[in-house]
Amino acid sequence: MTENASTKKIMRGAVMVVGGGIGAMQACLDLADSGFKVHMVQKDSSIGGTMVMLDKTFPTGDCSMCMISPKMVDVGKHRNIDMHTLAEVVSVSGEPGDFTVKVRLKPRYVDPEKCTGCGTCEEKCPKKVDSEFEQGLSVRKAIFSLFPQALPNTRAIDRQNCIYFQKGRCKVCEKVCKADAINWEDTGEEFELNVGAIILSPGLNRYDPEVRQELGFGRWPNVVTSIQFERILSASGPYQGTVMRPGDKKHPEKIAWIQCVGSRDSNNANPWCSSVCCMYATKQAVVAKEHDSSIDPTIFYMDIRAFGKDFDKYVNRAKDVHKIRYQRAMISAVREEPGTSNLILRYADEFGELKDEIFDMVVLSIGFEPHADAEEFAKIFGIALNDHRFPATPPFNPVETTRPGVYVTGIYQGPKDIPETVMQGSAVAGTTMALLSEARGTEVVVKELPPQREIADEEIRIGVFVCHCGINIASVVDVAAVKEYAGTLPHVVYSGQNLFTCAQDSMNKIKDIIQEHGINRLVVAACSPKTHEPAFMDTMESCGINKYLFEMANIRNQCSWTHSKEPDKATEKSKELVRMAVARVAKLTPLQEKKIPVIQRALVVGGGIAGINAALGLADQGFEVILLEKEESLGGLATRINTTIEGADVKSYVNDQIEKVTSHPNIQVLTQALIVGFSGFKGNFTTEVLVGPGMYERKIDHGVVILATGATEYRPDEFLYGRDDRVMTQIELSEHLQEKGAESLNQVVMIQCVGSRNDENPNCSRVCCQAAIKNALKIKQMNPKTKIIILYRDMRTYGLLEDYYAEARNKGILFFTYELENPPEVNSSEGDLTITFKDRVLGRSLKAKADVLALSAGMVAEDTEELSSILKLARTAEGFFMEAHVKLRPVDMATEGIFVCGTAHSPKLISESISQSLAATARATTFLSQSHLTLSAVTARVDPEKCASCLICVRSCPYEVPKINAEGVSEIDEALCHGCGVCAAECPAKAIDLNWYEDDQIMCKVDALLEGAL
Amino acid sequence: MIVADKKPVEEIIDYVTDCKNILVLGCNECVTVCEAGGKKEVEVLASTLRMCFLNQGTEVSIDEITLERQCDHEYLEEIRDVADRYDAIISLACGVGVQFMAEKYHSVPIYPGVNTCFLGATEKRGLWTERCQACGNCMLAITGGICPVSRCAKRILNGPCGGSSNGKCEINKDLDCAWQLIIDRLKALDRLEDYEKICSIKDWSTDRAGGPRKVVREDVQS
Repeated sequence: MTENASTKKIMRGAVMVVGGGIGAMQACLDLADSGFKVHMVQKDSSIGGTMVMLDKTFPTGDCSMCMISPKMVDVGKHRNIDMHTLAEVVSVSGEPGDFTVKVRLKPRYVDPEKCTGCGTCEEKCPKKVDSEFEQGLSVRKAIFSLFPQALPNTRAIDRQNCIYFQKGRCKVCEKVCKADAINWEDTGEEFELNVGAIILSPGLNRYDPEVRQELGFGRWPNVVTSIQFERILSASGPYQGTVMRPGDKKHPEKIAWIQCVGSRDSNNANPWCSSVCCMYATKQAVVAKEHDSSIDPTIFYMDIRAFGKDFDKYVNRAKDVHKIRYQRAMISAVREEPGTSNLILRYADEFGELKDEIFDMVVLSIGFEPHADAEEFAKIFGIALNDHRFPATPPFNPVETTRPGVYVTGIYQGPKDIPETVMQGSAVAGTTMALLSEARGTEVVVKELPPQREIADEEIRIGVFVCHCGINIASVVDVAAVKEYAGTLPHVVYSGQNLFTCAQDSMNKIKDIIQEHGINRLVVAACSPKTHEPAFMDTMESCGINKYLFEMANIRNQCSWTHSKEPDKATEKSKELVRMAVARVAKLTPLQEKKIPVIQRALVVGGGIAGINAALGLADQGFEVILLEKEESLGGLATRINTTIEGADVKSYVNDQIEKVTSHPNIQVLTQALIVGFSGFKGNFTTEVLVGPGMYERKIDHGVVILATGATEYRPDEFLYGRDDRVMTQIELSEHLQEKGAESLNQVVMIQCVGSRNDENPNCSRVCCQAAIKNALKIKQMNPKTKIIILYRDMRTYGLLEDYYAEARNKGILFFTYELENPPEVNSSEGDLTITFKDRVLGRSLKAKADVLALSAGMVAEDTEELSSILKLARTAEGFFMEAHVKLRPVDMATEGIFVCGTAHSPKLISESISQSLAATARATTFLSQSHLTLSAVTARVDPEKCASCLICVRSCPYEVPKINAEGVSEIDEALCHGCGVCAAECPAKAIDLNWYEDDQIMCKVDALLEGAL
Repeated sequence: MIVADKKPVEEIIDYVTDCKNILVLGCNECVTVCEAGGKKEVEVLASTLRMCFLNQGTEVSIDEITLERQCDHEYLEEIRDVADRYDAIISLACGVGVQFMAEKYHSVPIYPGVNTCFLGATEKRGLWTERCQACGNCMLAITGGICPVSRCAKRILNGPCGGSSNGKCEINKDLDCAWQLIIDRLKALDRLEDYEKICSIKDWSTDRAGGPRKVVREDVQS
C-alpha cells in the first residue's frame, strides 16, 4: 500500500512562465483563465517586453501601447497570476508535473506592499540616466519605472546610478515618499516555487549594429536603429511623435531603411532571417509619411519577405498609395557628408551599376539574436539548443523542448511577429494544459462572496472617498475642501479622505465604514476608472453591495494633472466632478450578472492536421470532441506531403495522429459530414449536421467551435500545366521523386509565385519558397548531377528556413529573379520543354531546357462560402477566415466561442498549423474549463413597445447582435451583446437602453454640472 | 415608406420665436425609420431650441412627446388633454401628420419640423431614394418591376427617349435611365416581348391630375 502511495506521481496545478512579453502574457492569461495558478518570472522591473516600445502596428495603424496595455492590466489584476519582477530562475529540479524552481529576486529598494505607484519619487529624483526604454534618446531617473504604463508600477532604484548608493547622501526619494516605501536595506530574496510545468519565453536580443562599423551606427548621429525609430515615431516618445534626426533635430525628408542588418549574413553576423524587419520597415515608412508628408522613404532590401496573412496587400499599398520606394540592393557603406550631417549610401543597383545616394537619415533594420547568456539560461532549465543557440524543438510540436515538462514559446523559439507570438503563447498554454489537466483547479484562488444586501427598500446612502494619491492630487487640489464639499451633497452620509485610496489598508477601512454607516452607494474621487474601478468594485462586492452602485471621479487626470498651475480652479473642478458622480450614483440601480452554463463539448470542423491536433489537444484534457470532416477520410492536404524541410516524416506522423484521433475515447469522428444549421452563443451552440453516406441528420450541442477547414494547392492554368506532363506542382514533384527518383532528371526548372502575388490573389502563399528548396535539395541528394534553376520574385525563406536557402545556393542551385510584369515563357513546341526568362544583370534573355518544370503553386482556401454564411463568420476576399484582431486575437473569431486554426486562417507550414491548433485548444479551454460563464451586466436592452423596427440597430451594431424577432421588433441577446452602446446611441425611437448608462444616468451628470449655471 | 428630411433649424426657430410653451411632437413610424422625426430627433430638436432660447435669454418651456403615428385619430387623441397648454406645436411627422394634427387641434398653430420628400426605400443607412409617386394605377407588372412614372425624369411610358446614353439619363450622368433598367430586366426575365407592346395612354385621373384623392373601402367600413 505504501509503495503505491509513494509511486503515485504528484501533479501540480501551477505553471511557471519565464518572461514578460506579449507571448508570455498570453500564455499566463490562457492558463490562469483555465484553472491553473501561474507564476510569471520576469527579469525586468515591468512586464511588456518589446511590443510596448513600438509606436503603431500594421495593417490597422493601431497604437501598440493602447493594444497591449489592457492586456497588461488583465495580467496584473488576475487573481491567479503572481508576477515576480526583477526575478530570475536560479535552478530547476524535479520532473514533469512536479518541478521545484528556485527564484532569485533582485533588490528593488522599494517595498511593493507599501508603494502605491504615485511616481513622486521619480519626479523628484535628481539623477538622470539614459533611458533604456527610449533607446538612449531621452533620460530617465535613478528611481524609475521602465515606462509610464509599467506593470507593476512600483518604482525600482537603479543602484549603479543612485546618488545615495554611490556617494552616501541624497535620499530625496525617501523624503518625498508619503507611503514610506523606500527600503535601503533591501537585499532581494530567494524562494522556491513548486510548479507542474515551466514555460520559457524570455524573448531575444536585438542585434547590436555598432559591430557593423561600415553602417555608421554610433558614429554618425543620424543613423538610428529601427527600434529607436519606433520611439521617434511614438507620440509619447522622446520627440512627441515629430520625426526629427537625433543629430541636429532637423526634419528629415529622404530617409533610407537598410534591411537585414545583423540578419542573413553568415560571414559577419547571423545567418538566419529575423522574419519581422521587412514588415516593420514598411510600416515605419508608411507611418513616417503619415506624420510628415514631405518624407520620402526608400527601403534597401535583398528580398521583401511579406509572407504573413495579407502582408503583400500592405506592401502593395505602401508602394502604390504611399509611394514608398523599394530598392533591391545591399548597402556596402554609409558615410557622412561633411557639413550637412547627411548620409551617403553606396550600393550596386539591380543592373550592377554602382551608385552613391544622399539621405537625411538612415534607419538600420536590426534583427534578433539569442541573448548573450543563452547557453547558461538553457543549462539552468536543462534544455538543448540548436546550432544557432535557439532551443531545439521538434517540427511536429514547436513548443516542446528536449526536457519534458519544459516548454518554449515566442521569439525565443525562433524569430516571429506579434500575431505568431501571441498564437504560440496560446499554443504553449494548450500543451501545458494537456500535461497538467488532472491538476486543473487544485491551486487556484476562488473568489468567495457574501450574499448581496437587498437595498431596494433602503434610502439612498452615499459614501464619498477623496484620494490624495500621495501628493499627486493633494499637491494641487485641496482634498480636505473637496471632502467637506462632498459631505454637503444630497444623500451623502459619509465623506472621507485617504492618502492612497487604492492601498490595501484604505480598502479595509472603506469596508468598515460601509458597514458602520449603512452606505449603499460609493463614490471614489481619485484616478482613472480604467485602472482602478475593478478594485473598488471588488471591495463593494466583498461587503455585500452590488458592485454597479459605484462611480469614480477622476480628479487626478482631469484636475491635478491638467490644471497643476491653477490649484484653485483644479479644486473647484474636482468639486464639480464629485457633484456629478454623486448625482449619477444616486440614479444607479443594482445590476445582476447573468450566469449561463457551458456545454463542455467541442465541435472541430475539418479533419486535417490542424483539426486533428485541436481535437486531440482538447480530448487529452478530458473534454468531449466531435470532429467533422467533409471527405471520406481524415488527413487533409498533409496526406500528400512526404517530409518537412527538416526531413521529418509527415506521412507516418499523419497516420499516427489519425490513429490516435479515431481510437480516442473522447473523440467522435463524423466523416462526409456537412453543416446545415447553426444557432446559439458562446458556451451554448447547437449545430445541425448531415452525415454521410446515408446523409442522416444529427443535432450537436456544444460549447465551442474550432474551425480547421484548411486549404488546398492552387491548380495552375499557366505555364502549360495540364497540357504537358513534365509541368507539375511542387507537391506533384515530391510525389514524382518518391515514385521515380531523380536519376532521369538532367535539369529541373522551378517557377515561384504561381497563383500567388498577382491580381487574382495578391497574397503570398508562404509555404512555396521552402517547398521549392525542399524539393531542390531532395533532388540534389538523390542525384547531385541534376542542374536546378529557380525563378523567383523574392525568396521568402523566413526565420531559420534561411539555412536551407543558403544550403541550396551552396549546392549550386541557380536562382534568377523575374518580375510580375515579365514572367518566364514556357514552350514545348519542338518536343523539348524550354523556359525563357530574362536575367537582369546580363540584361538579356536566357533559355533553359527542363525535364521537369515545377510550379510553386500557391495555397487557396477550401470553399467555405456556405459554412461561413451558416455560422455568420467573416472571411477575407481570398476566403480565409478573418480573426477577431490581426495582432492580439489571431485565433479567436469575432463571435465569442469560435476559434480558427491552421490553413483555414491563412497559408502556413505544418509546424505552424500545429502550433495554431494547440493555440485554439487553449483558447477553447478558457471556455470549456468553466462550468458557467458570467456575462457582463452592461448590455443593451430593447423596449419592444417603443421599437419602430427601423433596422438601425441591426445595421449599426459592430458585432451583428440585434435581430428583428418574430414579433417584428428588435431583440438583443444579452449573451452576445458586448455592451458598446452604439445601438442605444443610434436608435431613433429611443427604444434601446444600455444598462449602467441609461439616459437619465448620464443626463443627471450634465444637469449636476450645470446646476446653478443655467 | 414616406421619406422626410430634417428642416433647417433656423427655419423652425423663426416659426416659434415668440412662443413661450412649445411641444415638439414626434412620430414613431416612417420618420423614425428615416431618422428625421423619431423620439431621438425630438430630443435633439428640443435641446437645440432650449439652447437657442437660453442664449437669447428668453424663458421658454419645451416639452417632448412622440406618438405611435400622427395619421390616426386615436393616437392624436392622446394629447387632447395637453394640447391647449402650448402656443406652438412642432410636428416632426410627414405632411400628413402635420395636417391631421392641424385639423384636429384648432386653437394652437401646428408647424412642420421636417420636409416631406417622397415615397422611397432605404438603400443603406443615410441614403434614401424615390421609388413611387402614388399615381394610383400601378403598371409595374409590365415594366419588369421598375417604375417609369417615378424613376424616369419625363415619366414616359414607352421609353427610352433620345436622352438616354450609356444607360444614364441626360439630366444627370449619375442617374440611371429607368427605361434602360426596364429593358435590361425584361431581357433577363426573357420577356422582351412585353417591351415591344405599346403602352396606351395612361389614365392620369387617379394621379394628382384628378385633384385630391381618396380611397373608399366599404367592405371594411363599419
